[in-house]
Amino acid sequence: MMMMMMNATGQGTNMIDAKLVNTVMQAVMEVCGTMAGTQVTLKEVIPTLDYKPIGDISSVIGISGEQGEGMLTLSFTEPMAGLLVGRLLGMAPEEITSEDMCDGIGELVNMVSGRAKTSLSEDSGSLYRLSLPSIIKGPGHEIGGRPKNCPFLFLVFEAEGHSFILQVTFRHF
Amino acid sequence: MMTYILTVDDSRIMRKIMSGAIEALGFQVLEAGDGAECLAQVEAHIEEVCLILMDWNMPNMDGLTALKRLKASELTNTIPVMMVTTEGERGKMVEAIRAGAANYLAKPFAEEDLMTKMVECLQDRLNLV
Repeated sequence: MMMMMMNATGQGTNMIDAKLVNTVMQAVMEVCGTMAGTQVTLKEVIPTLDYKPIGDISSVIGISGEQGEGMLTLSFTEPMAGLLVGRLLGMAPEEITSEDMCDGIGELVNMVSGRAKTSLSEDSGSLYRLSLPSIIKGPGHEIGGRPKNCPFLFLVFEAEGHSFILQVTFRHF
Repeated sequence: MMTYILTVDDSRIMRKIMSGAIEALGFQVLEAGDGAECLAQVEAHIEEVCLILMDWNMPNMDGLTALKRLKASELTNTIPVMMVTTEGERGKMVEAIRAGAANYLAKPFAEEDLMTKMVECLQDRLNLV
């Protein structure tokens, strides 16, 4: 069972369990497959102690509920983002505008998070809420307001010779 | 003449995706970026809108609030509203159906599923066979 436990001192236990990881992994594959017609494979799962800025463009969404809170970030290089958004729209990557790219990447993380939220809610019996997605661009971009002292998992996906990263953290109250 | 399907989503990409399916069915597209814009579009095209595709989570006014406003008015309560949303929990679906949603489609979706569900809604509205 894949589990990270950084602080198991009762309340505030910070762990990311296999159920959540499997849920978001399946969600990424389903969203990319169903909406973009793109086969995605998970190449690697890397535990880290904090978020790491990576790629050219990221979309971030917060998830919160009675039992915990977390954050999902999808990070892409521009070519990978253009490829996926192009597939969403049935257009060539070079036809994708910067605005379309931002909007499309935001919608991808929205759908992935929606799937994760549904699974968490059904498993726990309590409702979770999603924030609206935010988009951050530029090499080495940082994300403010992320949960403190929470371990992250890097999920490295590959599609058509390009990689992209999902960083996920979830803190149970 | 009812020729418009109104797609309500804060994501321009999602509106574009849904517009392709709407046009493939032979209807014209109206767009709104949130619930308030949806109500304005319906008011402006009240005789022509035959179906509304409604996202749930949007800024300014969410889709459930807009749905309830539409169903509370005698002028608009016969326009079918299909929720197209990442809110996939059974409880959310029940909440939307109770508020008057005619159909429900969770994202992500295949274009064929979107078209099939739109036709189901339109059959009731336009007596299509």
